[in-house]
Amino acid sequence: MKMTKIYEGSHQWIMFGRDEGKPENIIDTNQYVVRTPNRCLLLDPGGAELFAPMMAAVLHHAPVDQITDLFASHQDPDVISSLGLWDQALTNAKLHAPAIWEGFLRHYSCESIEYEPIPDNGGTIKLESVELQLIPAHYLHSPGNFHVYDPQAKILMTGDVGAAFEAPDAPVFVDNFAAHVEKMRHWHQRMMPSNQAKRVWIERVRNMDIDILAPQHGRMFKGDDVKRFLDWFDALQVGIAV
Amino acid sequence: MTNQTKSQFIAVASITSELSAVMVVAKEISLAAANAKAIAFRAGDKAKGFQPITDFINELAKETIELVTNINIYALVLYRLTVDEYQKTAAYNKFELAAKMAEGAVYAKSMQEPVDHARLSMQDCQRQFKRDVSQLLGQLEAVMHHARAARVIAANSRIEASQAGEYLQSLQAVAESVDKAAHTIHDNVQRCRIALSIYRNS
Repeated sequence: MKMTKIYEGSHQWIMFGRDEGKPENIIDTNQYVVRTPNRCLLLDPGGAELFAPMMAAVLHHAPVDQITDLFASHQDPDVISSLGLWDQALTNAKLHAPAIWEGFLRHYSCESIEYEPIPDNGGTIKLESVELQLIPAHYLHSPGNFHVYDPQAKILMTGDVGAAFEAPDAPVFVDNFAAHVEKMRHWHQRMMPSNQAKRVWIERVRNMDIDILAPQHGRMFKGDDVKRFLDWFDALQVGIAV
Repeated sequence: MTNQTKSQFIAVASITSELSAVMVVAKEISLAAANAKAIAFRAGDKAKGFQPITDFINELAKETIELVTNINIYALVLYRLTVDEYQKTAAYNKFELAAKMAEGAVYAKSMQEPVDHARLSMQDCQRQFKRDVSQLLGQLEAVMHHARAARVIAANSRIEASQAGEYLQSLQAVAESVDKAAHTIHDNVQRCRIALSIYRNS
């Protein structure tokens, strides 16, 4: 699995993805880790099929007993179907996930991990001296959905917003926005159900200081491409299946 | 899922389906016993020897129904254990794979504890499954014992029925239905025992 450090300061952000051993018929996903001196948070840790390579990759950065927190942006299997495996591997961890999905996510098995429900209006995750904001992003696409913002690293992890599907050897950052648009268009038009929800989210996010916009699929956006993405998404009509 | 796990699921799930048929048949025996009691009452002295038999058949049917109800509850516990074992085995295999893929990683050794813990959990489940299978086999044997007893009673019923004059045909029909039902119960339960017995010592 490819590992890319995307921020280094008092803490680190690492992106994991482009797993070469991934079965062909499952979608590629990005997983993110926020590493502080004694703790480690996995953001959208991935599906059950990805557990072994993801764990193996994380062990390059943290021991098992310092994986103290998981975050699930929403309930999809590619986000969190590995929960039952993390539940058996981690002795002292919390899962931060939308409150409305608690009864559903427990179907993946969550006996030793403590479920920290995120209320609809959001919250924070404190990881030693780092405070991450949980930004509501409901109906983009899931009805219960959050993004994670790090004001220090200026990274916004956006789940399925900004997603695109790439070849395994694609670069991790967008390098030509115009060319990238066509990889995102159908996904966003088909999967995002609500233009209203999209507008609310964009209004909220435009006020944030973002260097990197990090989705759960495909390339990340950095610098001016963040604004280009917001402008493009703002103009896009979504919810095309009805 | 391995073939062993699949066949384990199927063996445990098949018990419930075989036993639901046993339950229906046991209730039929109870009904036959009630019919026989009514006929024996009408026959009076001519079927005097038959009357205590009907009570015995009814009692046997009730005990069979109770045993089967308890076995069904236990079979569900066993099914959940099978699912648990499957999940723990899957976790152990994934942890081993992660440990292997992490060779050379700075914190690779920290994976040893989850691997060991997963192995112990998996083995505990396997041992518990074997213990529970043994117990279930014992319970199934008790049902077969009742079914054998019912067949003996059915044979005695035929003898008594032959003394009952004009009630002979009715009482023999009852004896026949009890015998047939007991035979069905015996065969169904035998199938469950055969399906399960391979897991007692595997």
